[in-house]
Amino acid sequence: MEFFRKTLDPVIALAAIAVMDIFLFLIVGAWTVGGGETMMTGLIAQLFLGDDLKRLPFWELVFPPHADYWKIYISLGMLFGAFVGAVLSKEFYWRIPRRASEWLLITIGGLLMGIGIRLAFVCNVSTFFGMGAEMNLGGYLAISGIIAGAWVGSLIYKKILEG
Amino acid sequence: MSPVAECLVAFLFGSAVGLLVQRSRFCNTAALRDAIMFKTYRNTKALLVAMMILSIGFTGFMTIGAGHPMNFDVGLNTFAGLFLFGIGMVLAGACTVSTWVKTGEGNLGAAWALLFTFVGMFLFSLVWSWNYWPPAPASMTGEPNLEALQLGFANARTLQDKLGIPAVVFGFIQSAVLFAIYRAILRRERAQQAQHEVHQKEAVEAQAA
Repeated sequence: MEFFRKTLDPVIALAAIAVMDIFLFLIVGAWTVGGGETMMTGLIAQLFLGDDLKRLPFWELVFPPHADYWKIYISLGMLFGAFVGAVLSKEFYWRIPRRASEWLLITIGGLLMGIGIRLAFVCNVSTFFGMGAEMNLGGYLAISGIIAGAWVGSLIYKKILEG
Repeated sequence: MSPVAECLVAFLFGSAVGLLVQRSRFCNTAALRDAIMFKTYRNTKALLVAMMILSIGFTGFMTIGAGHPMNFDVGLNTFAGLFLFGIGMVLAGACTVSTWVKTGEGNLGAAWALLFTFVGMFLFSLVWSWNYWPPAPASMTGEPNLEALQLGFANARTLQDKLGIPAVVFGFIQSAVLFAIYRAILRRERAQQAQHEVHQKEAVEAQAA
């Protein structure tokens, strides 16, 4: 099938996603990833800590862990959809970063993303595909923040690349 | 709608998104990073088109009170959080979407980034449990609360309620601004292409001479 042989124009892909996102907005709420990831964090922590997790008010007042939270399934769906796409287009293979410095950057980057999402109460997806499009004041704050952050991140990255 | 049905709809939506992002190689990180570092706009254009469609779609339904817009207070934490996120996504080379999509393609680095996103979230939950900032949704008021560095809540619908102008009008204005940025990018790409062709021509002529 042509779809699995050629790379799709991202403008077409994102236009299709935007139309589906409008339907999702009408049914449950706009596309988001950070909320589902937080709930998964809570569920995993509960698995390890059991009732001890209740000693942290965050998991009582902000995100009481429960598995029937719809946002979790967007993320699991993306994992599944991407896996199917990669297998059918013969693009699935194990990719492992080679250098220790790459692992270090990924670790720091992942931590900053997790802390940033929770500090802001939104992720990059909600920023552009939810709040920003709803013209929420937070959307403009978040877009300014992520552009400033990406700029600083690019400066750091350039410095590292140049050694 | 029952929670199970909501989860099913979310899974179907996520699967379609995962497939489309995998096939198109769209990346939100690249949409910002490549525009800043390399002055290339493949992903930026896609992001702008999606936002144009969504701005009109969301505000259109918000005009008639339909849909589920996000409803919580924002403030300094919104800017600061996404600032940290912006640095993180460039260092990790992936955002929330591409960590899931690249993990689905077998990228163990992306899975590692995802794992540490979870760790970061858990670390933040420890700090929050100590200082309770930013305010939890249950204690949000919708009004500015400067002591907690919160600006309150406002979106296209609150503008409609305050000013009597339909929310979709603001949506069209936002889309027009986004379209102007899109046009500026196209002009820039054409200029880059023209310059590239001149360089190529000069190189061919130099070789011939």
